[in-house]
Amino acid sequence: MTRWHLASLRLWIMLLAVVQIMAGAGFVLGIALFFDHIPVTAALFVSTGVPVINLVLVGLILGPQLVAQQKLQQSYDFVRSLPVPQASAAAAWYTVCLLAGLPAVVVSLLIAEARYGFSFSVSPAIAPAVLLTAFTGTMIGYGLGHAVPNPMVTQLVTQLLVFVIFGFTPILFPAWQLPHWLAVVNWWFPFGHMAVIVRAGLTTGLVAGIGSSYLIVAAWGIIGAAASAWALGSRG
Amino acid sequence: MSTAGQPHASPLTLATATRSGIGYWLAGLRSMMRFDLARARQWAALMVIIQVMMGVGMALIYGFFYPRISHQTALYITTGTPALALIPLGFVMVPASVGQQKLEGTFDFTWSLPVPRSAQATSTFLLFTLLSLPGAVLALVVAAWHYGVSLTISAQIVPGTVLCALTAVSAGFGMALMIANPLLTNLITNTLMFVVLLFSPIVYPPAHLPAWLFAIDRVLPFYNMAEVIRAGLTVGLVTDLTRSYLILAGWTMAGWIMTAWVVERRH
Repeated sequence: MTRWHLASLRLWIMLLAVVQIMAGAGFVLGIALFFDHIPVTAALFVSTGVPVINLVLVGLILGPQLVAQQKLQQSYDFVRSLPVPQASAAAAWYTVCLLAGLPAVVVSLLIAEARYGFSFSVSPAIAPAVLLTAFTGTMIGYGLGHAVPNPMVTQLVTQLLVFVIFGFTPILFPAWQLPHWLAVVNWWFPFGHMAVIVRAGLTTGLVAGIGSSYLIVAAWGIIGAAASAWALGSRG
Repeated sequence: MSTAGQPHASPLTLATATRSGIGYWLAGLRSMMRFDLARARQWAALMVIIQVMMGVGMALIYGFFYPRISHQTALYITTGTPALALIPLGFVMVPASVGQQKLEGTFDFTWSLPVPRSAQATSTFLLFTLLSLPGAVLALVVAAWHYGVSLTISAQIVPGTVLCALTAVSAGFGMALMIANPLLTNLITNTLMFVVLLFSPIVYPPAHLPAWLFAIDRVLPFYNMAEVIRAGLTVGLVTDLTRSYLILAGWTMAGWIMTAWVVERRH
């Protein structure tokens, strides 16, 4: 199934990887223009937040849009009818999303180091953080694509999500720069916590309370996976 | 034109009508405006809502990136907001609407109507320009309230904003016509938005940019739109206003020339 995805998306994957790298680099570099002299904290938050966006963009945004497109083009039932267990189909999709995100993560981090002159202290914690973040992003997207019956709704929700993820979740900036109520709302959603766990794997002393962040991200991943399983299982 | 006013008149009256001259063109424009307005009723409200949300949303988002928001920052963000509401309308929604009409075939239908195509294009420009203004004003009001900024509004805000709207719509429409493939248009508009929102000095002073980047921004419409609007809302922030007006006029003309070229080329 991984090969199926790679074959059907081969042109796309290349394009996506390039777009991802450019978007990541654009954000890392562009943010400095907002300031006369960018404070180190702001640069650090953006640089460690961009990888999160790189990791979830394909699975969370493009994945559901792809499924919605398949539903509209009526190739959805065909792909569903392929003799592959649902779990391995999901695992294959997760692999593809991870592959599409990882190069951009590395490039964004290297550019950030070059531009702002700090060096990340990468700890082994980065591995589970990256894997879990990509998993949850992909599974929420997977659930969104499969469990929401109307493709137009899926499109609308994903477009809204892009906007929200970039601007209204504490990924690229610290949560205390949000109004209090919005920070509270965000605590219940996985996006800010994804940034916390990834940041914890790249820096020391910037974040605290990683345990609850891991739990919340994992919980959302399970919710997404369960929603997809339910939607895929309930059809004849 | 008599047939548009009296739907029950015999189709034969068409043959006697003069199908040229300024009177005919204006009548064509009038009926196209009515046609477009009637179609716009379906989506105009939604468009204004999306536009306000984009404008206000961006105004809020920019604020979140700053640890402390100084008066200067707040002033730049607030006065950049109307441009932020106009740019997506002209450079995303207009091309998207053209793309959708091309896919649905409505586009060719409209062009087959017995009205001069220049009148049709003018009608589109007027309609979108009018529709874009409420969103821009609302977004500005909300941003000014949110950041608690007091503005010094001068009369030139009116021609400034109208010109900006017209530039955005004209350039966006011309671009959408020039590029045949709607998917390519979609890619270009999305890339454009990303680049503009980060790298154009709309909500921050141009002094933050490296010189070469500012040189590029000075000839593109986006920064100049923000400048023209900012000049109508503040005192002393904007210099070199004439240049901005000229560049915007140039882009508007470019949009019209692209439109005219495509309209002529098609049978």
